Amino acid sequence: MTQYAFYFDGTRCTGCKTCEMACKDFKDLDLGFAYRKVYEVTTGETTRDAEGIIATSCVSYPFSMSCNHCDDPACVKVCPTTAMHKDPETGLVSVDTAKCIGCGYCHMACPYNAPKVDRSKGHSVKCDGCADRVAAGEKPVCVEACPARALDFGTVEEMSALGRIADVAPLPDPAYTTPNLYIKPSEDALPFGAPNGKVVNPLEVE
Amino acid sequence: MSELMPNVSRRSFVKTTGALGALAAVGGTVAATGSVFGKGTPQAHAEAEEKVTWGHCAINCPGRCSLKFHVKDDEVAWVETYTSKDADFDEVQPRACLRGRTYRRWLADPNRVNYPMKRVGKRGEGKFEQISWDEAIDTIASELRRIIDAYGNEAVYIPYATGVSSSTARSLPRFMTCLGGYLGSYGDYSAAQLEMITPFTLGSKGFNGSTLNAAEDAQLILAFGTSPTETRQGGAVSHYDWVHLRERAKGKIVYIDPRLNDSAMGRSAEWLPINPGTDAALCSAIAHELIVNEQIDKEFLDTYCVGFDDTTMPESAKGQNKSYKDYIMGTGYDMEEKTPEWAAPITGISADRIRALAEEVGTAKPLYVVQGWGPQRRSNGELNSWSIMMLPLLTGQFGLPGTNTGEREGSYSISVQTIPAGTNPVKAKIPVFLFTDAIDHGTEMTALNAGVQGADKLNVNIKCMLNYAGNCLTNQHGDINHAHDILADESKCEFIVVWETVFTDSAKYADILLPDLFRFEQVSQIGTGGDHAYMISGQPCTTPKFERKTLYDSLTLLAAKMGVEEEFTEGKTQEDWIKELYEKTRAKDSELPTYEEAMEMGVYTRKNPKGCTIAMEAFRKDPVANALDTPSGKVEIYSEQLAEIAATWELDGDDALISPIPVYTHGFDELDIPTEEFPLRCSGFHYRGRTHSSWGGVELLKEANPQEAWINPVDAEERDIVQGDTIRVKNAFGEIELLAKVTPRVVPGTVCISQGAWHNADMSGDRVDKGGCINTLTTHRPSPLAKGNPQHSNICEVVKA
Amino acid sequence: MENAMAELPLAIFTTLVPFGAGAFIMLAISFFTTKFGADELKKLDKLSIAPLAVVAVGFIASFFHLASPLSAFGVFSGIGSSPLSNEIAMGIVFFIVALVYVIMAFTGKLTESSRKPFATVVAVLALVFAVFTGMAYMMQTIASWNTPLVPVEMVGFALLGGAAFGAALIAAARAQGKESHSYASAAFVLALVGFAVALVALIGHYGVLEALSSSLVAGATLAEGVTGYLVGFGVLGAAAVVLLAACMKKASIGLAGAAAVLALVAIFLVRFAFYAIQLSVAL
Ligand SMILES: Nc1nc2c(c(=O)[nH]1)N[C@H]1C(S)=C(S)[C@@H](COP(=O)(O)OP(=O)(O)OC[C@H]3O[C@@H](n4cnc5c(=O)[nH]c(N)nc54)[C@H](O)[C@@H]3O)O[C@H]1N2
Ligand SMILES: Nc1nc2c(c(=O)[nH]1)N[C@H]1C(S)=C(S)[C@@H](COP(=O)(O)OP(=O)(O)OC[C@H]3O[C@@H](n4cnc5c(=O)[nH]c(N)nc54)[C@H](O)[C@@H]3O)O[C@H]1N2
Ligand code: SF4
Ligand code: SF4
Ligand code: SF4
Ligand code: SF4
Ligand code: SF4
Ligand SMILES: [Mo]
Repeated sequence: MTQYAFYFDGTRCTGCKTCEMACKDFKDLDLGFAYRKVYEVTTGETTRDAEGIIATSCVSYPFSMSCNHCDDPACVKVCPTTAMHKDPETGLVSVDTAKCIGCGYCHMACPYNAPKVDRSKGHSVKCDGCADRVAAGEKPVCVEACPARALDFGTVEEMSALGRIADVAPLPDPAYTTPNLYIKPSEDALPFGAPNGKVVNPLEVE
Repeated sequence: MSELMPNVSRRSFVKTTGALGALAAVGGTVAATGSVFGKGTPQAHAEAEEKVTWGHCAINCPGRCSLKFHVKDDEVAWVETYTSKDADFDEVQPRACLRGRTYRRWLADPNRVNYPMKRVGKRGEGKFEQISWDEAIDTIASELRRIIDAYGNEAVYIPYATGVSSSTARSLPRFMTCLGGYLGSYGDYSAAQLEMITPFTLGSKGFNGSTLNAAEDAQLILAFGTSPTETRQGGAVSHYDWVHLRERAKGKIVYIDPRLNDSAMGRSAEWLPINPGTDAALCSAIAHELIVNEQIDKEFLDTYCVGFDDTTMPESAKGQNKSYKDYIMGTGYDMEEKTPEWAAPITGISADRIRALAEEVGTAKPLYVVQGWGPQRRSNGELNSWSIMMLPLLTGQFGLPGTNTGEREGSYSISVQTIPAGTNPVKAKIPVFLFTDAIDHGTEMTALNAGVQGADKLNVNIKCMLNYAGNCLTNQHGDINHAHDILADESKCEFIVVWETVFTDSAKYADILLPDLFRFEQVSQIGTGGDHAYMISGQPCTTPKFERKTLYDSLTLLAAKMGVEEEFTEGKTQEDWIKELYEKTRAKDSELPTYEEAMEMGVYTRKNPKGCTIAMEAFRKDPVANALDTPSGKVEIYSEQLAEIAATWELDGDDALISPIPVYTHGFDELDIPTEEFPLRCSGFHYRGRTHSSWGGVELLKEANPQEAWINPVDAEERDIVQGDTIRVKNAFGEIELLAKVTPRVVPGTVCISQGAWHNADMSGDRVDKGGCINTLTTHRPSPLAKGNPQHSNICEVVKA
Repeated sequence: MENAMAELPLAIFTTLVPFGAGAFIMLAISFFTTKFGADELKKLDKLSIAPLAVVAVGFIASFFHLASPLSAFGVFSGIGSSPLSNEIAMGIVFFIVALVYVIMAFTGKLTESSRKPFATVVAVLALVFAVFTGMAYMMQTIASWNTPLVPVEMVGFALLGGAAFGAALIAAARAQGKESHSYASAAFVLALVGFAVALVALIGHYGVLEALSSSLVAGATLAEGVTGYLVGFGVLGAAAVVLLAACMKKASIGLAGAAAVLALVAIFLVRFAFYAIQLSVAL
C-alpha cells in the first residue's frame, strides 16, 4: 500500500483561503461546509502606556488543514457502520455514503475537525484527498490552488522528507491519530497543547 | 430559555454561523423585483461532456489571474486556474485567488442582472422593471441627446469604476468621444495622493518602484502600510512574490502598520505597530537620527537631489531656513526639532525603538523601502507618503541593486494595447473623488479651489453619468449618506446608466440598468505581471445567458441609434479590435506568440529577463543623461512648484496643508483627532473576502471572511465587547453594524475595518448600515493637493449592538 | 448549548434508557423484598410494559439524531470496534430479553419460580446497558467525555430513576394499599445510592472538565455554563430521594409518581448539559 500524505509549509502560508475555496468550488460545497479550513492562532498583547507608547508581544499565524488521513483514525474507530474507512491501497480515509447513517460520531471524535454530517445529504462529508484525481495521477485541487505554494501532497515517504509530523497548535498531539500531515512550521508556530495556542477565528472554521 | 443556556461548547460555533448567515441574508435582500433577476443556482458537475476554456479575472485587484473554466452543458461546473502538480517554487503561475475560485457563485448569483431594466421607484430605492433592449437603447439615446443639447457635453460624466480591466474594457470613453466628448477626470481612489505628489519629487515616471524580488539582496526591508499577500492575492503577483521574497530575502523585514496584517503573519516579531497617519513623524525622527549620527549620504543628496539642505535649495528659497534639514533640525518653519522624543507620542513608537530603527536604516546597505497605499489614502496622505520616500534618499540607497525608491513595488509586465479613446473635445477634468461635488455645485468648482484641470472652472454641473462596472456612486465613495442625498435628487443628476453583473448599491441609483457579461463570458485579453510577466487570452466560457450583452455590443447599438456607429466601431467587432490591438502589441514585442497561438495557450508567461527591475537605475548611473523630468532634473526634496501651489490654491481650512517639503501634519481635524464623543481612530484596509465591493454578495466568501471591526482587547474591554459580538461603529457621518474581532493584531486606540462590504441601510429610515460598509463613516472632503479620497482617516466610537 | 440542542435526541435517549431500564432493577428488587398479592402481581406485571415503552421511546428518539435513520441496521458492522455499536448491540440484547419478560408477565406466564431469576437477569442487563450507554461516549479524543465517570453517572441515573419509576409502578399496582412498605424502603435506599453515585461522579466530572482546555475553548468556560444544570440535578434528585423516603411511611402513587418525575427531569438536565461540555483534545 502507498499511504498518501499532505505537506503544509507554515512559512509560506498567508491564510488567504484559496485552498479552502477552491475545494468548495470543486466539491460543490455550500454554506456551512468546508473540507479544508484555515485556522488563525493569535496570542500576546498589544498595549499602550500612559505616554501613549505601544508595546506588543502579539504572535499570529495561519494554519490550513483538511482531513489528515490518519494512520490511526479516530473517526474510523468510532464509526458504528464502517462507513468511515481507510482505503487499503492509498490510506485515504473517506465515507462510504451508502453505509453512513449520519450519527455524527466521526465528527465528534476527529480531533482535527474534519468530518461533519450533512443532514440534507443524509451522511457525513469530508475531504477524501481528491481520491479520483490522485488515482488519475493528479494532485488535490487545494494543493494545486495555493498561490503561495504552501501545500503539497504525495506519498508519506515523500512528504515526511519535506517536514516533520504536524505537532503545532492548534492541532492535537499527533500521537492520538498519527496524522499524515507533515509540516514546516512558521517561526511563530506554538507547540501543540500550548495554553495560548488558541484558534481565534471560530466563526471562519465553522 | 436560550438565556439560561450556557452558550459555548466545543463546536457550538457551528451554529453561530447561522446568525451570520441571517445577517448576510439581510444584506442580500435587496428590494429588487424578484422575477427579473435570475434564480440560477450553481450547477454541480453534471454527467456531460466537459469543455475547458481560458479566461481572466478582470477585477481591479490587479492580479488579472488566469481562470480555467470546466464547462458542461453550457454551464460552468467548476473554476480552475493555471497550475500544475509539480510546479517548482520559481515557476510563474498566475493562479487565481480565493475570489477567483468562487466565480461560479457570482456567475449564477441570485442577484445577477439578466435583463435591461428601468427604474420604477425612487432613485436609490432599488425598484426596477424589466424592459426590452430596444426600449433601453431608445431611452438612453434620447436622454443623452437631450442632456447634451441642453447642457453640453461637459454635463456628461463617466465615474471612476474599476470592475473590469481588459484591452477593450474602456470602450465607454471612446463612445463618448464619438458623441462630442464628456467631462474628464484624473486620479483614482487607489493612490491619488501618492500619484499626485510623486511627479513633483521623482518626476512623471517615479511612481513605479523596484520589483519585490529586487529586495532579495537588501539588508533591511521596510514595508510601510502594505500587505502584499492581501492586496494582490494571485499566484504570480505580489502575494506569491512576497512569499517568495520572504523565503529568499537575506535581510530582515519590518512591517510598519497599525495592524499586524496578513503578510506579517507567521513572523509577527517583524511587526512595528504605529498609529495610523503618523509615518511622516516616524520618518522625520529617523532622518533626525541619521543627520545627528552622520549617517546620511551627503554626496548623493547634493548630486542627485535638491532641497535637502541649503546647499541645494533653489534660488527662490535659499537662505530662508526652508530646507528639509532645517525642518528636521528645528530651524525650519515650525522651529521644532524632530527628535525621537518628539515623534514617540505621535507615532506610539518609543524613542529607543526609533533610535534602534534609525541605526538599522543608517547602516543597511542595500536598503529596500516600500510602501503600500494605506499611508497615502488619508487626509495627510500626500505628505505622509512623501515622507517615507525620504529614507532611501537620506542614505543614498536609491537606484542601486537591492534598493527601492520608497514607492510601491513595480512590476515587470506585458502591456497589451487598449482600445483608443480618441481625443476628448471637452478639456475640463475633475479629480475623480469630487464627482458628487460636481453634481451638486460643479459650476463653483475651479482650478484653485477644487483642482479642476484643463480649464479654470466647470461650466456646468454633472447632469448625466454612465457608470460601467463601478460601485463608486455610493458604496466605494466617501460618505454614502451624503452621496445618497445628492444622487437621489433627480433634479441634480438627471440621468444615470449603470452596466452591472449584480444588483449593487450603486445600481440602485440607475435610471437604466444594463445586464453585462463578464469578460470570461466574451473574448478578452489582458497582460500584466509582478516580479514576472504574463498575458491571458480568453474565450467565452458559455454562450450569453438571458439577455446579457457585452459592453461593446450595447454601445454599438447605442452608437447606431445616435448616428455614430461607424466612428465607434470602425466596422470592427470587439474581437476584431482585440486582434488588432494585439497585433500592434506584438509589433513592439516580437517574442509574443501569434494571436491564434495566444488564444490556444490561454496563458503566456515570461520571466523578467533582467531578473528584477530596479527603479531609478538609469538615473543613478547617469543623472545628467537620464535626468528626471522635474524642473531641476533631480529629485526634488524641496519643490518650488508645490511652494507655488501652496501660495495660490484656495484651501478649505488651516488643517489642509500643502508643503514644498515632506513634513508631518496630523491631517484634518475632524477626521484625525479623536474627540470625547469619538475617541477612537477608524482605519480601513483591503480585505481578502472581496476586491472592494466585488464579490461582496457572494455568501460563500462572506461566511469564510466575515465583516468585522478589529478592536484591541483594551478598547473592547472598556466597552464590554467580546470576540464575535455584534457592534455598532458610529461617527458624525453615520453608523454601521458588524462583528467585533477582538485582537492584539491592532493597536489600542484604533479600530480597523475592511472596506468594500455591501452597504445595507434603510435610507428612508434610520440609515444604520447593517452591511458594515466603512464608507458610511467616511468623509467626502478631499485631501488638500490631490483632492483625493482620505478614506482611511476617520474617528469613531464603538458600542455593543 | 447550540451543540446540546443539536444533540437533543441523544439527550432524550440517554435519559429514558437508564430511567426505563432502571425500573426493571427496582422491580427485581421488589420481588425479593416484598410479598405481593396475586392481584397486585397481576397489575404489576401488566404495568411492566411501561418501562419497556419508555426505553422504546428512547430508542425512537435516538433515530431522530441520525441523518439516515433508515440505514440504521448498519450499526452492527461496528460491533467490537465502535463503542456506539457495542452500546446499541447491548441495548438490543437488553430490549429483547426485557421484551420476553414483559410479554410473559403481561400474559401471566411468569411462574413463581421463573419470576425472580428472570427479573434478575433483566435487571442485570439493564445495569450493563446503562454502563455501555455511558461507555459509548468514552472517546480518547474527546477529553471531557473520556472518563469512567460517564458510565458511573449512567449507573447512578439508572438506580435513581429506576428506583423512583419502579416505586411509582408498584405504588400504582398496590393502589388499594396494603401494610407492607418494604419495597419503598428498598426504593429509597436504591435511589439514595443512585443519587449519591451520580452526584459524586458528576461533581468529579465537573472538576475534570474545569481543568481541561481545547484549542477552541476552555473547559472552565463550559463548566461555568453548565453549573446551573448540575445544581438543578442536585436539588431535584435530592427532592426525589426525600419523596421516596416519605413513601416509606405511606406509599402513594402521588408521592412515588412525583419522585419519578423529579428524577426524570433531574437526569435530563445533566444529560442535556453533557452534550454542551463536549471538549476535544484539540479541535
Ligand atoms: N473607505 C474606502 N473606500 C474605498 C477604498 C478604501 O480603501 N477605503 N478603496 C478605493 C479604491 S482603491 C478603489 S480602486 C475603489 C474601487 O471601487 P470600484 O471601482 O467601485 O470597485 P468595486 O467595488 O470592485 O466595483 C466594481 C463593480 O464592477 C462590477 N463588475 C465586475 N465585473 C463586471 C463586469 O464584467 N461587467 C460589469 N458591468 N460590471 C462588473 C462589480 O459587480 C462591482 O460592482 O474603491 C475605493 N473605495
Ligand atoms: N484582497 C484585495 N486585494 C486588493 C483590493 C481589495 O479590495 N481586496 N483592492 C485593490 C486595489 S484597487 C488597490 S488600490 C490596492 C490597495 O492596496 P493598499 O492601499 O496598499 O491597501 P490597504 O489595505 O488600504 O492598505 C495597506 C495597509 O496599510 C495600512 N495602513 C493604513 N493606514 C496606514 C498608515 O497611515 N500608515 C501605515 N504605515 N499603514 C497604514 C493598512 O492597515 C493596511 O494593512 O489593493 C488591491 N488589491
Ligand atoms: S491557499 Fe496556500 S497560502 Fe492560502 S491559506 Fe491555503 S495553504 Fe495558506
Ligand atoms: S483527520 Fe480526523 S477525519 Fe481525518 S482520518 Fe484523522 S481522525 Fe479521521
Ligand atoms: S456519521 Fe457516518 S461515517 Fe460518521 S461515524 Fe456515523 S456512520 Fe460513520
Ligand atoms: S484534498 Fe480535495 S477534498 Fe481534500 S481538501 Fe483538498 S481539494 Fe478538498
Ligand atoms: S481577485 Fe485578484 S488575485 Fe483574485 S483571481 Fe482576481 S485578479 Fe487574481
Ligand atoms: Mo484601487
